[in-house]
Amino acid sequence: MKLRTFLTTAGVLIAIAAFVSMLSFGAGNQENITREFNELGLFTTMQVYPKSNANGSDTSPSPKLDRTALERLSAIPGVNLVYPYDAITVKVKLGDTLIASKAQALTAAAARTKLFSNMLKGKAFDGDSSRQAVISEELMKKAGITSPESLIGRSIVVSVGVSTVDSGLAHILTDRGESVIDRLKRIHLDSLRNGSYRRRVIRSEMNDAVRRFLNGFTNAQEIISDSLTVCGIRRAGQMGRIRIEPVIIPVATAARFSSGGLSGNLAEIFAAMSSGNLFSRPEDPGNKTFSQVTIDLDPHVLYKTVRDSVQALGFKTFSFAAQFEEIQKFFFYFDMALGVVGLIALITASLGIVNTMVMSITERKREIGILKSLGAYELEIRTLFLVESGVIGLIGTVAGLIAGWTITRIVSAIAHFYMKREGFPEMELFAFPLWLILTALAVGVGVSVLAGLYPAARAAGVDPVEALRND
Amino acid sequence: MAAEIRLRTLSLCRYYRRGPQEEVRALDGFTIQVNRGEFLGIVGSSGSGKSTLLNLLAGLDSPTSGSVEFDGVPLSSMSRRQLASYRARNVGMVFQSFNLISHYTALQNVETALYFNFTPPKERRRLAAAVLEQLGLADRMTHRPPDLSGGEQQRVSVARAIVKKPEILFADEPTGNLDYENARQIAAILDTLNREGLTIVMVTHNQEMAQQYAHRIIRMHYGHLAGSTLTRPSAGLMP
Repeated sequence: MKLRTFLTTAGVLIAIAAFVSMLSFGAGNQENITREFNELGLFTTMQVYPKSNANGSDTSPSPKLDRTALERLSAIPGVNLVYPYDAITVKVKLGDTLIASKAQALTAAAARTKLFSNMLKGKAFDGDSSRQAVISEELMKKAGITSPESLIGRSIVVSVGVSTVDSGLAHILTDRGESVIDRLKRIHLDSLRNGSYRRRVIRSEMNDAVRRFLNGFTNAQEIISDSLTVCGIRRAGQMGRIRIEPVIIPVATAARFSSGGLSGNLAEIFAAMSSGNLFSRPEDPGNKTFSQVTIDLDPHVLYKTVRDSVQALGFKTFSFAAQFEEIQKFFFYFDMALGVVGLIALITASLGIVNTMVMSITERKREIGILKSLGAYELEIRTLFLVESGVIGLIGTVAGLIAGWTITRIVSAIAHFYMKREGFPEMELFAFPLWLILTALAVGVGVSVLAGLYPAARAAGVDPVEALRND
Repeated sequence: MAAEIRLRTLSLCRYYRRGPQEEVRALDGFTIQVNRGEFLGIVGSSGSGKSTLLNLLAGLDSPTSGSVEFDGVPLSSMSRRQLASYRARNVGMVFQSFNLISHYTALQNVETALYFNFTPPKERRRLAAAVLEQLGLADRMTHRPPDLSGGEQQRVSVARAIVKKPEILFADEPTGNLDYENARQIAAILDTLNREGLTIVMVTHNQEMAQQYAHRIIRMHYGHLAGSTLTRPSAGLMP
């Protein structure tokens, strides 16, 4: 191979190496996201929320996300499972460490879905009433435990401070040792005939009664504790719009904690007040409403069909499949941008091919004349030169693919080293899917053949008489 | 027996423009005919239009006016593809400077002539080897032109011209670059080929060789036919 041809091939090699390295980076990230979506079952997960009328733009009635709604959602074709987000504030005692946290109640079926199955160690609980819990990696680390193996099978104590309406009511009559008689003694009974005094006394007593109720409701809590066995440790990671709490407990086991009433958490109290559940009997779950519900979809059913059915029931939805479509769009443009940069390098290399081929024609003018005198048709001469530029492109592309792959391996090894050192979860940044290899081959050879068009036309047009002239 | 005309030119003109003013009349109303099986020698001084005539007869060049007919078919009526096919199947050419492809072996050079008439690869190799052997180059088949002597190179060139069994062979000063002994050998080869029935048109400066081997010699002078001489009898030739 002539030095000039070698250098031209090297130009194609470098351009293709740059082209595939960049596209490989895009493909690697896309693969990572797709794999993560698949592993977490996000393609088959949909979130349902009650409609918010806060902005006033939607005037349609907003149904409650309660047990009845769950049943209606379950009846939609293509819905495998429906489970609400149902969480309580708890204290978790893990060894000697007491940690304030939140616990989420789940059915065993829901806990076995892909969304909750990303385990560092162990597995989901056995049944809805088993005395087991799945805890998160973060909680484990908060407790100062580094070995997940050592935690599986260990007991944790989960406790909830429960406030009841009864304890609030009891405090209306008695507070800080002061009895009803003591309070009556402070009232001037003969002055009650005075309207102004009477109204002042009533207002004062009402204020005191509410204060005493709230005092009793929030402070005179009953502590409910339970000892649960850790059966699984969930891998750390953000789940975006899906709320997964550090402690996951079976739904029937969790019911014990909320059976006494509400936890002392003010947010829960206000939520119960706004939903009209404050004075409901806690053992009546039919009245409970939820802030969000998760739907596990049949993978063979189009998410859009289910989404439309859910929205028709009057709820808002959030689908990861829809979000993935947006991500794919982003990656399409991302890959395009990277591809264009690579293509510019390739076009530059193609100018090298044009130059080499034109030089080659000048040098091989006599050879072209000889071939024509032997009966070569112009198309055959043109084909000969197109094949030559195509071969330069093919050799350059194959070598460029190998070089690009080598570059990505080196960069990947360096990235892995730093990820490990910084404690980041390791991931493969580059991917070489078949479509990338085929695209590189098509682009590399295609651009080279295009670059050969002009020289080939010149070669075909060589005048044999001129070419064979003795001088 | 009447001679069968293989090739004929009618008032053949080929003019070139040299600069904006000057017109060179390489051929100016040239009419000849070449009969089947004839060995025609064309002689003339440099610039008389011999090579131009050969290029026009071989279909490598197009006339300014007039026509060339091969077996009664004007070359000007042929498409470019048909002209290429005419060169690939009917015409063999031998050049003064051999015009071999320097990076091909002798065998590959000869095989190339069969590529354009679509001879299958195995047959190409067999025929090329046989012709080289016939011309005494059996032990030079894998040699490249720079490794061969002038005489050997011209024999390879002749082998390339005849391997496709053409109807007519055009030789443009085939011995011009050779010493006496090699020139004699090449002339003898051409004579043998002619005796086997091949029509040959040879341009040469070598009057002696033309006298010895050609049936007829035509003289050219500045694009015109200056004379024609019958040197030895051939079937159906008229002086």
